[in-house]
Amino acid sequence: MRGLHVYVLAVVAALALLGAGHFNAYWLHVSIIAMYYGILAGSWSLLAGYVGLFSLSHTAFASIGGYTSALLVKWLGIPVLLGMGAGVAVCCALGGGIGWVCLRMSGPYLAIFTLGFSEIVRIVISSEDDVTAGMAGLHTAPLFRSATRVPYFYAAFALLAVSLLLMGLLVRSRWGLFLRAIREDEQAAGASGVAVARFRILAFAIASGFAGLAGGFYAHYIGIMTPGVGDLDEMAKLVVMTVIGGMERLPTAVGGAFLVEVLLELLRGYGQWRLPLFGVLLLLTMRFARNGLLTPPWLGLVWLGEARARPLAPARDLSEKDSAA
Amino acid sequence: MSPGAELVRGVGLVKRFGGIVANDAVDLVVAEGDLVGLIGPNGSGKTTLINVLTGHLEADAGEVLVRGRRLDGRPPHVYAGMGVARTFQLTQLFGRMTVLENMLVPGLTRPHSRWDEVARRARGYLQFLNLLPLEQLPARNLSGGQQKLLELGRCLMLEPTVLFLDEPFAGVHPRLREELIARIRELHQGGRTFVVVDHDMESILRVSRRLVVMARGSKIADGEPAAVRADQNVLAAYAGL
Repeated sequence: MRGLHVYVLAVVAALALLGAGHFNAYWLHVSIIAMYYGILAGSWSLLAGYVGLFSLSHTAFASIGGYTSALLVKWLGIPVLLGMGAGVAVCCALGGGIGWVCLRMSGPYLAIFTLGFSEIVRIVISSEDDVTAGMAGLHTAPLFRSATRVPYFYAAFALLAVSLLLMGLLVRSRWGLFLRAIREDEQAAGASGVAVARFRILAFAIASGFAGLAGGFYAHYIGIMTPGVGDLDEMAKLVVMTVIGGMERLPTAVGGAFLVEVLLELLRGYGQWRLPLFGVLLLLTMRFARNGLLTPPWLGLVWLGEARARPLAPARDLSEKDSAA
Repeated sequence: MSPGAELVRGVGLVKRFGGIVANDAVDLVVAEGDLVGLIGPNGSGKTTLINVLTGHLEADAGEVLVRGRRLDGRPPHVYAGMGVARTFQLTQLFGRMTVLENMLVPGLTRPHSRWDEVARRARGYLQFLNLLPLEQLPARNLSGGQQKLLELGRCLMLEPTVLFLDEPFAGVHPRLREELIARIRELHQGGRTFVVVDHDMESILRVSRRLVVMARGSKIADGEPAAVRADQNVLAAYAGL
């Protein structure tokens, strides 16, 4: 069955939607937070996995998106959805700007630059008490006036699904091919006609926009924004999630976010020891499964679908069927 | 000497790296139908000249014109869009992408290109280069010679008017070298223009119709291969005679 992996995803999604009503408040919250990280992991995978831009400012953009939306709603009284949209726009613009400034950077230089940006954002938010309420936290307007978390679950699900769909369409398009070419060799991509600078800026802008979307949702779900949303610990957690899942594919990166978030909750009994456990898991992944723990089963699923689609087809004699230029 | 319309012209090109002058006021014209062999000792500035003429390096002085349009200072994709393709001294493929995807990238950068049409054309060129059965392999899994062929194929996907090949025969098995020479000749007969840089004098003399010699950053000879080989400056600079 061609596209078996898509059907499996659809079944999992349908089960999650049907089962949402049966989750208790605790697991609903865990699921919602996992979906928040899912959007972040998917969009960071777009940047780091597909284009090879190892940015460490992704959670800072989530923070910017959240604060932008919360402050605009508070100051101007605009609807929350409009505030979230404004957060996305600000993150796209800022992300594009960072992408432009970093045009000639890659690898550790890019990581350090974006880490610096992330720290500037965190310190500014912490220090500007009058505007952001600093470390005390900025209280935000809720997205829904509901006594349960169920509407938030469906909203997070919709945002994750739409984000994945849009990012999936992007990576499967010719632009996705160009982004991967840039990851492999920027010089060769330029020689092949790819406008490298334009696509690098675009990748930063798009990924930052999705981070801003996640941050905006988080702000209006959790009810309070603190500088910690964009700090280095959060970024490290996001990297762990994406790398453990598999950073070169959107579904595996998102799967990694779910896996780590759920495991973090299941291992809560181990207290702080669960964090070194994840460190060990990350080390083992980097040593033995550099493409992530979820990539082999995901590729197996894709392969199974492809193989079952043409079980008895003979090997194609390419030289006979295709004509020369 | 130049048989057709002017495609690429470098005028007074100067490129310095610190105190080293890699190109010292070099003039070079490549015209339609040319098959230029660009030779010179190590460090004579051949690759730097190609890098400047294809937008990969910005000259410190001088101009680069492609079909009469000044392009110096513009990024490489602008040159590619104007039909200037190149390969690299050390093969630079999109290693983790498949052979077919390597071919699709340049094809899809062309305006108004359609995916199915580009894929059909890519398979045609892969057949021409004897790489079609390998289309689903990651490019990094190919042998060195096959990688050189794929790099040439990737250039062809741009439908270029001029191809700069930087050391295409280096480290290539003799059988694949013969194949590469045959393909270059065939493409030249089909109307493509080539500038080929290499140290392999035998191969370069077999393919080129015009020889340009560089030494210490300057162009010291430019003409028919037989005449250039007899030039005393060339013998002194290149062969050390």
